[in-house]
Amino acid sequence: MANEKKSTAAEAVSGFFKAVGGFFSSFGTAVAKGDIFVKLSLLWWGAGYVRYKQYVKAIIMTALEAGIILFSVFFASQYVPKFGTLGTVKAEMIFNIDTMKNEFNDYDHSFMILLFSLFSFVVWFVAIVIWMRNMANVYKLQLMEENGEHINTFKEDVKLYIGEKFHITLLALPVLGVVVFTIIPILLLIFVAFTNYDQQHMPPSELFTWVGFSNFITLFGGGGLTATFGYSFVRVLGWTLVWAFFSTITTYIGGILLSLLLNSAKTRFPKFWRLMFVITIAVPQFVSLLLVRNFFADNGIVNTICDNIHLTGFLRDIGLVSTDHIPFLSAPGWAHVMIILINIWVGVPYQMLIATGVLMNIPEDQLESAKMDGAKPFQIFTKITMPYMLFITGPALVTDFVKNINNFNVIYLLTQDVYTTTNQALANSQAQEVDLLVTWLFRLTQDYYNYKMASVIGIVVFVICALFTLVAFNYMIGGDKEGTYQ
Amino acid sequence: MKVKKMKDKRPSTIIMHNVLIGILAVIWLIPIVWLVCQSFSANPGINTSTFFPRKWSIISYIKLFSPDTVAQFPQWFLNTFIVACVNCVISTLFVLMVAYATSIMRFPMRKPLMNIAVILNLFPGMLSMIAVYFVLKTFSLTNSYAGLIMVYSASSGLGYLIAKGFFDTVPRALCEAARIDGCSEARIFLQMVIPMSRPIVVYTVISSFLAPWMDFVFAKMILNAGVSSKYTVAIGLYKMLDKSLINNYFTQFCAGGVLVSIPISILFMIMQKFYVEGITGGAVKG
Amino acid sequence: MRKKLISMLLCATMVATMATGCGDKSGNDDKTSSGANSETNGGSDNSGAGGGSGSSETVDLRLWGAEEDQDYLQQVVSNFEKAYPDQKFNIEIGVESESTAKDTVLTDIEAAADVYSFASDQLADLVRAGALAAIDDVGEVLAKADKTLDDVKSANAPDSIEAATLDGKMYGFPTGGANTYFLYYDSSVISEEDAKSWDALLAAAAKAKKKVGMTLNSGWYNASFFYGAGFTTGLNADGTTTIDWNGTSADNISGVDVVKSMLDITSNSAFMPIADGQISNTIASGDLCAVISGAWDSSKAEEVWGDGYAATKLPTYTLGGQQIQMAPAYGYKFEAVNAYSKNTGWAVLLAEFISNEESQKLHFDMKKQPPTNSNVLASDAIKADKAIAAAVSQGDFGVIQSVGQKYWDTTKTFGEMVAKGKIKAKDDAAIQKALDNLVEGVTAPLS
Repeated sequence: MANEKKSTAAEAVSGFFKAVGGFFSSFGTAVAKGDIFVKLSLLWWGAGYVRYKQYVKAIIMTALEAGIILFSVFFASQYVPKFGTLGTVKAEMIFNIDTMKNEFNDYDHSFMILLFSLFSFVVWFVAIVIWMRNMANVYKLQLMEENGEHINTFKEDVKLYIGEKFHITLLALPVLGVVVFTIIPILLLIFVAFTNYDQQHMPPSELFTWVGFSNFITLFGGGGLTATFGYSFVRVLGWTLVWAFFSTITTYIGGILLSLLLNSAKTRFPKFWRLMFVITIAVPQFVSLLLVRNFFADNGIVNTICDNIHLTGFLRDIGLVSTDHIPFLSAPGWAHVMIILINIWVGVPYQMLIATGVLMNIPEDQLESAKMDGAKPFQIFTKITMPYMLFITGPALVTDFVKNINNFNVIYLLTQDVYTTTNQALANSQAQEVDLLVTWLFRLTQDYYNYKMASVIGIVVFVICALFTLVAFNYMIGGDKEGTYQ
Repeated sequence: MKVKKMKDKRPSTIIMHNVLIGILAVIWLIPIVWLVCQSFSANPGINTSTFFPRKWSIISYIKLFSPDTVAQFPQWFLNTFIVACVNCVISTLFVLMVAYATSIMRFPMRKPLMNIAVILNLFPGMLSMIAVYFVLKTFSLTNSYAGLIMVYSASSGLGYLIAKGFFDTVPRALCEAARIDGCSEARIFLQMVIPMSRPIVVYTVISSFLAPWMDFVFAKMILNAGVSSKYTVAIGLYKMLDKSLINNYFTQFCAGGVLVSIPISILFMIMQKFYVEGITGGAVKG
Repeated sequence: MRKKLISMLLCATMVATMATGCGDKSGNDDKTSSGANSETNGGSDNSGAGGGSGSSETVDLRLWGAEEDQDYLQQVVSNFEKAYPDQKFNIEIGVESESTAKDTVLTDIEAAADVYSFASDQLADLVRAGALAAIDDVGEVLAKADKTLDDVKSANAPDSIEAATLDGKMYGFPTGGANTYFLYYDSSVISEEDAKSWDALLAAAAKAKKKVGMTLNSGWYNASFFYGAGFTTGLNADGTTTIDWNGTSADNISGVDVVKSMLDITSNSAFMPIADGQISNTIASGDLCAVISGAWDSSKAEEVWGDGYAATKLPTYTLGGQQIQMAPAYGYKFEAVNAYSKNTGWAVLLAEFISNEESQKLHFDMKKQPPTNSNVLASDAIKADKAIAAAVSQGDFGVIQSVGQKYWDTTKTFGEMVAKGKIKAKDDAAIQKALDNLVEGVTAPLS
């Protein structure tokens, strides 16, 4: 693993291109040097296999080819030609009194055109890859025949799939799942970012179409006086980064401290105490966070108690609150701090578990020798424990940061329906001070059907996460090389 | 500071130390205690004036098990259980399969695939939700548990990293020896690596079993027919806090929360050991 | 034909997906748009077989209603089935409150229920998205219920029909009226006279160490101050909103003065701003002696205040020495027919059935829902109900609020600023600025 990590992003990219290059060149050689059957395989995928008596393979490849042709003719042809305009015929309906049903014209559904075109592109892309690989395989057969090598029977071929090629068997379904449920949706929404898909252009009744980069221009501040997306974007992004930083750091340090505390020799019944903390994460977040939200509501139990012990009055006297309750989750500032505090409550036990595991493996001899040298416990913590933790969990810290940028649950469950912004410019673009980019995006799609802006924001989130990950990993890999702890 | 005391072995510091832990534990447990207390309150709305209910009662639990049009807790529990079981099988298989292929096997596309997985994990899931919905709709899978299970499990292969980290600890020489003995990869996978990786298998099984109990966003989106008996526990309980319902159902929400948390807590306690082992097993190796 | 091919091909490419999928397919196979597309091809074949009345096919319908109306709807549906004994139905009732119907419907119109109820302020958005079947286009089917559309129109209060009409077409059957807010008060603390104006109300509440509550962070509630002073809102054909609150009203009152009056009220220590949706919660806490809310809170208020429970029209507020009557937003509930329903005809009949006199009477008896049907409105039971009487009494000066999508968030934030005292009554310029921002946000073009 350690040396795997050393391959930097640049190497990964160049390796990828090398692989692609090799792929094309083997295809080229096959076309150039192949015999007539190999060349015939360009048109009829099964041709080469027939020549080398791999009949089952020939049937499979022919069927696959036929399937793709049928797919193209009967399915893709309905949608792909409209991809340029995303449809031109609006839905119209006429009520038929005899059937008591509405009858529709043959209308275009922009979203379906986009989705199915994309689907067709993916199928075609896969088809081309298979086609090119097929050529290379057939050419390989030719070479094997020429050299008088043994050509596998179908049974032997199948056996390869639990042997050498077992990875294909293993990865086929998971990759298919990822393609259909992750890659296609992501590509789809990247496309949507370049359309005007919003409440004014909602299929099936309306059509939407391509608009180029205008949504990006809107987001980065060019949207005229009233559309305040640019204004909101900067603020929401700022809070997203602040949140991600503090929520990651606080839970991380909190987790380490708590685990040191629990694992100390002085702790009585450590298992019992650990259990107490673990219980809080075992309660599903939507229960615990919705509960905490009501706990800290403007007229909730905590406010009642604070009022009874005159804390509210005291805070009002020193000017921290202006209302007759403490606006824990309903005023900017207060809400920001509370959200991070509540996140500590949610996140520290998790980090405690991880830290416990890591600290168990801390090299004893280093601790011992440090103690011998008369190091103070605090020095041991900063000089040995923390660097060791950072070394081990550094990559996890980066992924945690990215996860927190996208931490939907905590923010949504704590502020939805509770927090109302008093900033009119934010309100005009449906944002709030406590929004993360993802919750803003979610609200835009769920309540305002503003899919185009949501997609643009989604792409921006991705770019930020990608940049951060790239920089962080490159930096950390630089530090890794010392291999202090190996 | 806490560390400083480590040298001290006097009883007073030991007491201080444990008191400190106790205080922290109390802070952490207050909301949970409140949850339990509220679930035993006789008043169905939110009690905002006292921490403990004025009148204790188990009425919420009784109501929870006598379904009305809003709350059909036993049915939800069953629905979620079915979804969770199927998801658990598929997800676990996917995760272990991908982890084995990327950890033990070597093939040309391995690195590019792993890099793609890293990139895909950076996209916010919320964004793809609407597109996932339309993909499911195309296959007439909205409002069905099959659709929901697919959403939970189809992309689960992307979460293979922890399992891969664990598989990396399996001695390479063992696999090589098995290969030389003529074992197929499938046999190495099923009969060698999996049995050696019990912690990570248990961890994967439990965490994929838990996912449907926790998620309400995707479930709400996919089970959108508005028919209460088809909900999962998470949507059902979430809807109880609707503006129009919270005053009559808050304590039932709490009771439901308690009932869901009990089995999850038990699973979690089983899991935490494996969680620690699995995660650190992967992390220690970098 | 085409549909078959599609599914065949999809099956071929997605064997794995379908294999798990087919096992659990529920009865909504026809929900894809390709299904809708092929309707024209398949429709002509069907018309021969299914022609005439009372076809033998089972009619599948989905109906959405609020959580609290579920038992009522079950009863109506069984009545409906009895009314058409020749026809087999399979009617599924789902939960979707009329206040959130738009949000759910617009996410995916084709997946929405065939018949659902919605509040009148959502009409414009739903029509623009093409989600509603125009009743005029399908009205002839009412002959099956021995009615014409004109019968329906004349049976209900004219205002309710007007509110259901956009650009000359009716888009829903009125089922509930007086969807508005008024003043509940505890008559043991506040006299009938005190309840007439904010000043007296707050003074009486302060004396009793109680509070008067109102939701301000919602454009539905806070507009009542402006409507009372003669300000207006309106909806343009393109979905944008018109609003004149930053200027001077027809009654020659400036918007700044209205906001100052509002700030006078909110700065009074006896006033309590209540977050949207928290009203009945707050009533239950017992801190209030008066609150502005709607008929849905009547049972809560009655429970808390017991014999003192009373309801009346909204109070007046003081503006430069004169008393101004607040004018509430006044809305209706409609039963909609989904434009993309597979059984439009039967959906229309069901929607009409839910809005007929018998059902409205039942709805009032079971759920205290204020009716729109003229005969039910005239009944003694209605007149005896305090809350409904208060609501209906506001019909004369209530405003049917027609606004677009941009209105809500902006006015919500504006209300929050007033409630939290973010702008000060002395600072005319800041108030004017806030109002200008408000108008700019509300009138913004839809993006």
